Amino acid sequence: MSELLEMRGITMQFPGVKALDGVDFTLRAGEIHSLLGENGAGKSTLIKCLTGVNRMDAGTIRLDGEEIRPASPQQAIALGISTVFQEVNLCPNLTVAENIFVGRQPMKHGQIDWKTINRRAAELMARFHLDIDVTRPLSYYSTAIQQMTSIARAVDIQAKVLILDEPTSSLDENEVQLLFNVMRELREQGLGIIFITHFLDQIYAVSDRMTILRNGHLVGTWGVSELSKVELVTKMVGKDMDVIFNLKRADVPGDAPYMLKAEHIGDTEHIRDISVSLKKGELVGFAGLLGSGRTETAEMLFGASRATKGSITLDGEDVTLRQPFDAIRAQIAFCPEDRKRDGIIGDLSIRENIMLAVQSRQGFMHPMSRQEQTELANQYIRVLGIATPDCEKKAGELSGGNQQKVILARWMATQPKVLILDEPTRGIDIGAKAEIQRLMLEMCGGGVSVIFISSELDEIIRCSNRVVVMRDREKVAEVDGEGCTQQDILKIIAEGAA
Amino acid sequence: MKKTFDLSSLMQSKVTWAVIAELLILLVCFAIRPDFFSISYQPSTGMLYGSLIDIVNRSAEITIIAMGMTLVIALGGTDLSVGALVAVAGAIALKFLRWDVLQYHPPGDYTVCSYALVLGVPLVVCALMGLFNGFLVAKGGIQPIIATLILMVCGRGVAQILTDGKQFTTGYTPFRVIGQGSFLYLPMPIIITLVVVLAVALFTRRTAFGAFVESVGVNPSASRLSGIKAGTVILIVFALTGLLSGIAGLIYSSRIMSNDSNNAGLNFEMDAILAVVIGGTNMAGGRFSLAGTVVGSLIIRTIVTFVYYFGIVAEATMAFKALIIAVVIVLQSEPVREYFAKRARARARLNGGAAA
Repeated sequence: MSELLEMRGITMQFPGVKALDGVDFTLRAGEIHSLLGENGAGKSTLIKCLTGVNRMDAGTIRLDGEEIRPASPQQAIALGISTVFQEVNLCPNLTVAENIFVGRQPMKHGQIDWKTINRRAAELMARFHLDIDVTRPLSYYSTAIQQMTSIARAVDIQAKVLILDEPTSSLDENEVQLLFNVMRELREQGLGIIFITHFLDQIYAVSDRMTILRNGHLVGTWGVSELSKVELVTKMVGKDMDVIFNLKRADVPGDAPYMLKAEHIGDTEHIRDISVSLKKGELVGFAGLLGSGRTETAEMLFGASRATKGSITLDGEDVTLRQPFDAIRAQIAFCPEDRKRDGIIGDLSIRENIMLAVQSRQGFMHPMSRQEQTELANQYIRVLGIATPDCEKKAGELSGGNQQKVILARWMATQPKVLILDEPTRGIDIGAKAEIQRLMLEMCGGGVSVIFISSELDEIIRCSNRVVVMRDREKVAEVDGEGCTQQDILKIIAEGAA
Repeated sequence: MKKTFDLSSLMQSKVTWAVIAELLILLVCFAIRPDFFSISYQPSTGMLYGSLIDIVNRSAEITIIAMGMTLVIALGGTDLSVGALVAVAGAIALKFLRWDVLQYHPPGDYTVCSYALVLGVPLVVCALMGLFNGFLVAKGGIQPIIATLILMVCGRGVAQILTDGKQFTTGYTPFRVIGQGSFLYLPMPIIITLVVVLAVALFTRRTAFGAFVESVGVNPSASRLSGIKAGTVILIVFALTGLLSGIAGLIYSSRIMSNDSNNAGLNFEMDAILAVVIGGTNMAGGRFSLAGTVVGSLIIRTIVTFVYYFGIVAEATMAFKALIIAVVIVLQSEPVREYFAKRARARARLNGGAAA
């Protein structure tokens, strides 16, 4: 097999840090090559050098044997290097077809040739086995289809190298399989694919080789069969990952009192009828596909959406949750799924982000002093190990894992009795992931009841005392976390309750 | 930690540039007319006189309104109705103060109701109108620019109806004090402005209200999920802006001792928005600076004074104002600030190197 892309001795210096130090990377035509490393290892920087976003300080890039030096993303695309980013970079209000062809619309008699656009877009999507109406606005479709649209756009631009940066982080299991099929097909057609993901299983499922980076250095390149998962993680993190694989479930005594009891809650649209209960210090996992009602249930338990029927009892008392404020006053906390949209307040400082929920519970007429805020923020920066020079840094400038910790700190500061975490480990690296899981379990140990929603079954099983399985906006089963396997849960999700 | 004078971050602040712009304009005034800065005491009125005093005095209405506008903009909105509310406040006040319709009364001190109502009713009505704006935005989910357009258009109509389309005048002495009186040698509008600015600053920065406003302005969804009652915040901000427009309206009509439904507060919304933007608050919402807004309002007024003072033809006033503002806005733009910040950093490095 020939080397399609050859990067040699790539070095990139930012003020104060060497982001990349002499990294080599090769990509063959017709291969899926995973690029791995923790946040800050240099994956993104390497990709940015390749796609012309950053100018590298040293090193050479050869594409098809010819040296290239892309100076802008446009140039990189013209050279045949296309990128699909984690966040969908498309216009939600344009149609699928328009999104695929925007900026390079085929013309006819000096006018845009809509017929051709729509026909070719439909053909492209059909190649991905998607039979959808391409004249509908993109926002009409699920994230998976939006993701496919950006891949279709990337592939249609005569790409030789396709870079997929965390494409699966917002997809559910079926959608991931769909994406993998597309990736394999593109591989057959001789494309070189660089695949960046935090999901170890997916690396093994789809890629041919993998390259690991750590702290801006190349650790090495291996075929997928040459390295076990544990070895892989150890090489990524640079230390033994006993911590991750030795997490202990929360210890809940049999006679522990119920902290939260929701009985037959539901509304007309999202959730039909759900009953959930949580003991003091217990961790209950919510498993199910995207759209199965996991998030909707959580939102209802937090008052973010209103239950029109049923009752919720907290610590023995009936509560009515009309708005999040009511839930916060009742000491329920909720880390939402979409960190960027619903969690972090990017332009405000870490300090303000952390004090926000406590302050809103007190009302604005009872402000915390600046000193109290700083102390609170610094305390959690220390406890959670948030990587920042000080608490006045803008929260939006932190990495994903650290942003998640800031949101967690916001809720820990309210001293909740019930903590609901919706996909708290999504899109963050394995080290931070393990830390969030550890924190979660520590809080259980301190008597907090936790609801843990995740698309990754292994982490649900690893941490949960009980697992609530959801499907089609209903709870279909509840199983013990101890002794249950991923297969059990998948089976329930696929076939309904046993 | 040792506090150091950080030139680079100072050069990046928009407020810094607003202050520099204001000083530059004043400097030009001084260069042309060295007596521009002179201030004299007039024993007959007990007031200080001078161009500087005049600038601050005449900027009172815009500064007061812009305090509210700053918060509205920090929420990511705009309030177009403030100018119309100025007219409404004047119309109501003058309805109570009218003497000219009652023929048997000689011109002079006369009101049809107690002075407390003369001042109170306009303020309450304006606050309620602001609340109406807030209600449309918070509960109706209407974009602020559209929601406030309603009162911008019909507010003057309401003022016309209230006064039967007439222009009343008054001679009521206590009312004159608001716009033309003095306190501690300073014109009363300056005193009122100081009180308002201080009150708004205390209200936003000594409570957590300012932080809530910024939070909702940056990310409404996340703010709601953090327990902030965004609707209440929006209602308060718009009601406050209405109230402040009412205060500005009373000052305005006291200056002319009359109501003018057509011209009172005309284009005030534009000047207020401009003051906020020049002051460094982003139209997209988020962080706000009340101090910056005060400077912004002063800049606008300084330009107008400059035009009057140096006899630039009246027709050119608007164009001249636009020119200066364009320069100020460009100076504050990201690339320019970044350029100067970079130079400041480079110079600091050089000095540091020399010291080491």
